[in-house]
Amino acid sequence: MVKENAKIMVHVENLKKDFDKLEVLKDISIDIKEGEVVVLLGPSGSGKSTFLRCINRLEEATSGKIIVDGMDITDKHTDINKAREDIGMVFQHFNLFNNKNVIDNIMLAPVELKKMTKEEAHDKAVKLLERVGLADKAEAYPSQLSGGQKQRVAIARALAMNPGLILFDEPTSALDPEMVGEVLDVMKELAGAGMTMIVVTHEIGFAREVADRIVFVDGGYIVEQGTPDEVINHPKEKRTIDFLNKVL
Amino acid sequence: MIQIIQSYGTMILAALGQTLILCLLSLLVAMVIGLIFALLNVSHNRGCNFIGTVYVDAVRGVPLIVLAYFIYFGLPAGMKMLGAVDFRLTALQAGTAALSMNCGAYMAEIIRAGIQSVDRGQMEAARSLGLTYGQSMRKVVLPQAIKTMIPSIINQFIITLKDTSILSVIGFPELTNMGKTISGNTFKSLETWAIIGIVYMVVIVSLSKAAKRVERKLNVGRL
Repeated sequence: MVKENAKIMVHVENLKKDFDKLEVLKDISIDIKEGEVVVLLGPSGSGKSTFLRCINRLEEATSGKIIVDGMDITDKHTDINKAREDIGMVFQHFNLFNNKNVIDNIMLAPVELKKMTKEEAHDKAVKLLERVGLADKAEAYPSQLSGGQKQRVAIARALAMNPGLILFDEPTSALDPEMVGEVLDVMKELAGAGMTMIVVTHEIGFAREVADRIVFVDGGYIVEQGTPDEVINHPKEKRTIDFLNKVL
Repeated sequence: MIQIIQSYGTMILAALGQTLILCLLSLLVAMVIGLIFALLNVSHNRGCNFIGTVYVDAVRGVPLIVLAYFIYFGLPAGMKMLGAVDFRLTALQAGTAALSMNCGAYMAEIIRAGIQSVDRGQMEAARSLGLTYGQSMRKVVLPQAIKTMIPSIINQFIITLKDTSILSVIGFPELTNMGKTISGNTFKSLETWAIIGIVYMVVIVSLSKAAKRVERKLNVGRL
């Protein structure tokens, strides 16, 4: 849900990323507004995930500029840890902390980074677990959860820091088909609540229903972007049409 | 045999005590050395990697007995040349230094392998929340790494316990040194070395049995 005159949450300018000789991102520029839900579509190897990982500097940009909520991510002098507190991330393989139970997974960052007292973090974690429908799993360890449950905990963990933006890196790709729905439902609820989200996914249905904007990426460039109706129902570029023909 | 035990029993036990003290001290220091050099080795800073690699290669490339001679005899000689005439090391100090340097190098490799066995996603998830590298290591990666390291660490403990015998060469009054004394006095080599061997074996087997139990307990539930 993008409000009128919403501020720019993410500003990316001429982003380039090489891995040694391999150019993954060639020239990406995009502005994303607060509250906007942007879905990145594109064939595998097109650079979607790399783009996402550049935004919180899990990958260092080769050149170009990334500004998130006023913080210059590409500037070496920026305190990246401080910046990351405001940028949640949800991973394809969940990456829950295996040595901690569910509630401790969620409480770790707020407590360790002195954002909240233990009590506050605990209350918040309990509320978040209710929100993702896992109030009864607080004491469980990650190994005792299904994939869908793990991913919902991972979303709760990201939310615990009250981020202004959440990055989703193929959040349902590692799930059994029957668990995809429960994770997408949580993401829909988040989108409805006004969270700024950048989502890399292959779930065209989700993109159609929830995205404010769809960005089609291929070969390290943004090939085409627009509303779901524009990109999915009336694509203009040949590469977009080819891709959609394969996945739809 | 019984005669030896009767006349030398308490001395053998005292020597065993010395062996255990040397071993425990060395293990403690080795754990610290190992952790430091393992962290240097897994860091993303090339300078740190270099220091870590040089230490591990250098120490592993030198036999323990040479290292012990170097520290016990070589170091004071070197200090004398530098003017510190009074510099002396006790056999315990030199022994602990040699053994912990040696064990520390192997421990560094064990800890490094343990850290690298933890999925990269764990570190990434912790960093993505805003935790520093150190916080992520302490709270997330190391606790998981320790579990996979435990069998190798126990193994290294046992090797170090046995390696204490090498330090008999610098005159440290541990178990093997006691064996030399007894067999020299009694001329009963067979009995003496059988007794000394059995003492080592009893200690090591009971330690490794106890360690196995701890290991099993730690593996219940999680992971």
